[in-house]
Amino acid sequence: MPGLHSYLVVAALVFAIGLFGVLTRRNAVGILLGIELMLNAVNINLVAFARLHGDPIGLLFALFTIAITVAEVAVGLAIVIVIFRVRRTIDADRLDLLRG
Amino acid sequence: MTAATAGFWAVAVVLLASSLAVVLTPNLFHSVLFLAVALVATGVVFLFLHAPFLFGVQLLLYAGGVVVLVVFAIMLTERIVGLRIRQSSHDLVNGVIVSVAVFVGIVGFLVQSGPAPAAPATPPPGGDQTVALARAILGPYAVPFELLGVLLVIALLGALYFARED
Amino acid sequence: MDKPLVVLALPFAVFLLLSLAAPLRRRGVLAGWVSTAATAAAFVTALVIWRDGARGSLIVPWLPGDGGPMATVGLLLDGLSAPMLVLVTLVSLLVQVYSLAYLDDEPPRSLGRYYVYQSLFAFSMLGLVLSPTYLQMFVFWELVGLCSYLLIGFWYTRPAAARAAVKAFWTTKLGDLGFVAGIVMLWSNTGTFEFEALFRMAKDQTLPLEGLTTIMFLIYLGAVGKSAQFPLHVWLPDAMEGPTPVSALIHAATMVTAGVFLVARSEPLLVLVPAVLTIVARVGAFTALLAATMACVESDIKRVLAYSTVSQLGYMLAAAGAGAAAAGFFHLLTHGVFKALLFLGAGAVIHAVGTNDIFRMGGLWRFMPHTGIVFIAGTLALAGVWPLAGFFSKEAILEGVVAGGRPGVFVALAVTAFLTAFYMFRVVFITFFGPGHPHGDTHPPHDPPWLMRGPLWLLAALTVAIGVRFVIGAPGDHHPPVWLTVLSLALAGGGIALAWAMYGTGVIPVELVRRPLATIDFLARRRYFLDAIYGGIYRGLMLGFSRVVGWIDRYVVDGILNVCSAWSLRAGDALRRIQSGQAQDYVYGVAFGVLLLLVWARWWRTP
Repeated sequence: MPGLHSYLVVAALVFAIGLFGVLTRRNAVGILLGIELMLNAVNINLVAFARLHGDPIGLLFALFTIAITVAEVAVGLAIVIVIFRVRRTIDADRLDLLRG
Repeated sequence: MTAATAGFWAVAVVLLASSLAVVLTPNLFHSVLFLAVALVATGVVFLFLHAPFLFGVQLLLYAGGVVVLVVFAIMLTERIVGLRIRQSSHDLVNGVIVSVAVFVGIVGFLVQSGPAPAAPATPPPGGDQTVALARAILGPYAVPFELLGVLLVIALLGALYFARED
Repeated sequence: MDKPLVVLALPFAVFLLLSLAAPLRRRGVLAGWVSTAATAAAFVTALVIWRDGARGSLIVPWLPGDGGPMATVGLLLDGLSAPMLVLVTLVSLLVQVYSLAYLDDEPPRSLGRYYVYQSLFAFSMLGLVLSPTYLQMFVFWELVGLCSYLLIGFWYTRPAAARAAVKAFWTTKLGDLGFVAGIVMLWSNTGTFEFEALFRMAKDQTLPLEGLTTIMFLIYLGAVGKSAQFPLHVWLPDAMEGPTPVSALIHAATMVTAGVFLVARSEPLLVLVPAVLTIVARVGAFTALLAATMACVESDIKRVLAYSTVSQLGYMLAAAGAGAAAAGFFHLLTHGVFKALLFLGAGAVIHAVGTNDIFRMGGLWRFMPHTGIVFIAGTLALAGVWPLAGFFSKEAILEGVVAGGRPGVFVALAVTAFLTAFYMFRVVFITFFGPGHPHGDTHPPHDPPWLMRGPLWLLAALTVAIGVRFVIGAPGDHHPPVWLTVLSLALAGGGIALAWAMYGTGVIPVELVRRPLATIDFLARRRYFLDAIYGGIYRGLMLGFSRVVGWIDRYVVDGILNVCSAWSLRAGDALRRIQSGQAQDYVYGVAFGVLLLLVWARWWRTP
């Protein structure tokens, strides 16, 4: 049985990898995938702590996170498709209409 | 090292490797497939943590739903543009520096907080925690759970609204 | 002391009534009658006061201070203020009656406004006269200045009138600066503003003499401004832009004499500082002579009278400076009567012919015999012909100057007397007996209506009556030396004769006299360039100051704002670049925030 820290370190690594993906991907879908990884890392943390404390509430929140993530992915992908349709690109570099 | 520990590390290696693949493969479609692998590996990690219900949800919703959604999205956009999406990365050095810094920060935090208290060796009475989870959902957390349902409906409608052909 | 209070309260009540009751004010003529009735009541009360010979004072604390009030207000009735009350109310009354006819073609609205000013002026002037303290006197002093400003600028749509009003205000304010500084310094030396207390101290020789010369000179500066003494006399001729009755009341009979009144009032203090008295006398004599020369070449009938007023005010102040303040005050009263008469007469002429230029009148004697008679009566009085009022007061002044041992001043005043007779009869000969001008058959000039004729006759009768009163026997039966009487009659006669010879018959051609005096003629016609110099200084100062202010506003005030706005723009432009619009850059920001939190939690957080 690995200790809690093992889970947490693995989760942190996944989180960092996801962050790296978010920061470096040019493609909007790629960025979304990075976000998925980060959320996953959070879920691992939640479940690990739930196990540690023997409390099902951690699981519950992991469940919530998963559901919300699904919603986020659905909306995010819809936005990506709309952007794609309008701008003919999903290259995040070129989506800079908000530039000051 | 027990078998459980060895198994965990094996899964962890798969998880990390597939995660790296997600953020590094040039082919967007491959990266979605690697994401599916990473999600399944995460589900296995949940199993190690005695949360089989979550493993199921992870498999169904995430690995099933999300990945299928993304694949659809990719195929839709490719159909619109009419060419295969290659994806590339930029600012790799900056990304590495920041990501490593965040990781070091988190781990440093763990180190500072000292050794973790030992988890209960055995799962609580009643086998796994699914029953307790069900009680929580139908008990004190019924309202947030229902709200979650509303959120999902809204997200569905919103996605439909955005993505519709006009 | 309730009667003086009534005299003071009546015009003030009318002022309040007319200013607050707009419908009444807008009725115009009705407002005029209300004001006139109140002034008549005030005049009657003033007459009663004068006849009673009641004297006294009423002092009420005003500004509280440590150990007794710091300043007091009240009423002071004495030998100076009682006759002034009568003069002011009399001339006010006659002028208000006269104005009803003179301003009959004004719209009712502005006629009402006119009577508001008139009643405010009457109140202010009476308050000035009755003031028992320098401070109260200054307050009313400024109030009459305000009324003067308002009435000169009564026809404020005329640029010349508006300019003249501002000029009068500014010029008199220059003197008032000295006045207020003087009374404040006097207060800091003695601790009181009250005349009676000050005079008591002067008599007991407890008055601190240190700095008194400066103080009295500063107070005298107020008189210089108000009584149009050189070098601040320039506003009075311009003040003729106001309606003629206003000129008669304010700029001949009452307000401009406030300076003389002030000097006469301050006499017990002035005698302690001979240096200031010398200045008063010399400036007065110089002003008298200077204004007389300007009057000789002026062709605007009102301006001739204005210069004459300046000249006569110089006379009065010369007398006061020579130690004959009583004579100066006496001349103030008689002059008030006959100069008001002259102005109202000139007003009647102007009303009839519609111009101020004496050379465009001519031959009016046939058309306006009433006006001619009273105008000549006033002119004789001003010229100082026996037995009219002016003769006695002028003689008293000359005598006082001789007694005061000021030969230079005496010579200047004697020459002025000659010039006075000359320029006044020059006007008379040209206006009433000069070559007639075609006036058009439909509207020949005619005597004014009785509302105007009445005051004229009344003033003329008074001018004669005062003289006759002194012929019968002067109070105290004091007789000046015979040579002086002969001299003053000779001067007056000489002036009249010269005017007759030059303008009446043409025996002596005008050019013959003008040529040897070409320089003076040239200068006098240009008012000795004083107006031009003052205008230049005023413009220089004002425009220079305005330029400086404008520069400061444009480059310092605006500059600071511009710099601020430019910096804001630049800073905003710089900060704008943070907003790259790229989501990933924002994620960097979030990541750095998380890192900061971690670092803080790891190292800086105190457990």
